[in-house]
Amino acid sequence: MRALVIGIGSPHGDDAIGLRVAERLASEPLPPGVQVVARDRPGLTLLDDLEEAPAAVLVDALRSGGTPGVVRRVPPAALASARLGSSHALRVAETLALAVALERRLPPLRIIAIEISVWTGDGLSPPVAAALGPACEAARAALAELLPDA
Amino acid sequence: MAERRIIEVGALARVEGEGALHLTVEGDQILDLRLEIYEPPRFFESFLRGRTVRELPDLMARICGICPVAYQMSALHAVESIFGVTLDPSVRALRRLFYCGEWIESHLLHMIFLAAPDYLGLDDGIAVAKLHPTQVERSLRLRKLGNRILTLLGGRPVNPVGACVGGFWRAPTRDEMSALESDLVHAVGEAEACLRWIASLPIPTRPQDIELVSLRHPHEYPMNEGRLVSTRGLDIEVAAFDSAFAESQVPHSTALHCRRREGGAYLVGPLARLVQSADHLSPGAAAALESLRPRLPSFDPAASVLARGIEVVYAFEEALRIARSYEPPSSPAAAWTPRAGVGHGATEAPRGTLYVRVETDAAGDVVEIRIVPPTSQNQARIEEDLRLLAPGILALPHDVARRTCESAIRDYDPCISCSTHFLTLEIERKLPPENACVRS
Repeated sequence: MRALVIGIGSPHGDDAIGLRVAERLASEPLPPGVQVVARDRPGLTLLDDLEEAPAAVLVDALRSGGTPGVVRRVPPAALASARLGSSHALRVAETLALAVALERRLPPLRIIAIEISVWTGDGLSPPVAAALGPACEAARAALAELLPDA
Repeated sequence: MAERRIIEVGALARVEGEGALHLTVEGDQILDLRLEIYEPPRFFESFLRGRTVRELPDLMARICGICPVAYQMSALHAVESIFGVTLDPSVRALRRLFYCGEWIESHLLHMIFLAAPDYLGLDDGIAVAKLHPTQVERSLRLRKLGNRILTLLGGRPVNPVGACVGGFWRAPTRDEMSALESDLVHAVGEAEACLRWIASLPIPTRPQDIELVSLRHPHEYPMNEGRLVSTRGLDIEVAAFDSAFAESQVPHSTALHCRRREGGAYLVGPLARLVQSADHLSPGAAAALESLRPRLPSFDPAASVLARGIEVVYAFEEALRIARSYEPPSSPAAAWTPRAGVGHGATEAPRGTLYVRVETDAAGDVVEIRIVPPTSQNQARIEEDLRLLAPGILALPHDVARRTCESAIRDYDPCISCSTHFLTLEIERKLPPENACVRS
């Protein structure tokens, strides 16, 4: 393995976008040595994936109050300063902050975030469903940076 | 005119879910104390009606991301009691192994990430990781082994899908179990070291007159089977749950409270199991308990974290024992025929006894289901604990008082999402008219 794409989410509403991105990428031709996994709220087990990956692209939903469906890059450092929240389940930002606190070697990392809002209908909301293609493209572009010779 | 003082504190961290603690004080007298759970109800008991028992375990697993195995096991045992399913001994051992994985994961998360910051005066597990990286790395290694077990039997570490009526969809091969065994060999010593570290921290003492309730099994430390027993003489079969316990609604909680029929609060969880089944601990766990006397066994909810640590040692020893003696079953699941009836299941979730009552129709569909999670049962006990604790902390600076209350609540490792989320502390101080001074 040369790089791992980790689609993160849950089956609920637009939070599933990371999982859908992983599924689509897994069904398409990818550069050699790239593996794709979908992780339903991985919590600390995300550390296990990162431990084994020479390079990684994380794809996850984001709620920052922006326009739903907007795909953006988030610098890992912006997440790694997070503090633990109130739940048993560690979110991506908190898990990365823990890895930094433990001075663990993190692989070269790119984070693709898709802005979502509250959506209670079946499947993805129209703007987030429309972001599936652009999010996959953003993940491929991130892979191209991590694997310049591919 | 009585003077009222309201102190608001931010959200309580490091418990699962959201809620609030409300305290009204007049002088030294507590007028009102409410553990408010306002997480919206999740309607599992309603939408499970009409589902087939084949769907039941996977749907039950969705109740909790931390203790899915407990929900699966209690529901399956209830259904299997209706259908008259007898488990293959090898499958029975696998279910025990499955539970070991869950105890390991859940207990270590609580010990290192939720509780340890209290003893160290730190904000969260990340701060613990910065100061004590060796301890945190060790707990992460151990938790990873818990994940290994859950993945081996459940297909994945979160929301496992491996269990079914009669056993599992698939049983591990002997080679897979040998690989697990070699990973587990060094874990017992690491778990003991983890407990020693936690025990070296300044854990508060809060002995109380409590009724402890758990399963007890004649030959083993309780997980999937046993009778419901208490330190005040209760000894009933699981099917008689309703004869001894009653659920009731309180206005300030979306989770039902559960009390003894006579009205008393009681405690379920690792402390209750340890006090009532210490004679069934494995050698390393028993030695760990000896080293912790007189802190344990005891009736001190603050010592629950140590009971968790002992149970982690036990879970690793038990997992290793099961892995070593494993012979793959002839079939991963016993054959069964659906039957109409009512069944009861109680198993020991990481947080305590989890009772499920299921009624099925002749096709094996769920007619009705009742789920009584451990945190539901502990709510009244937590309120009682805080009522005992409150007079001693009213004179303390607000921040210290808040931390003390939060820490006491965390001793129960409440999982509010399970029971219906947590925590804003509000202390309302009413001063008697003759008292002009306002205490901070």
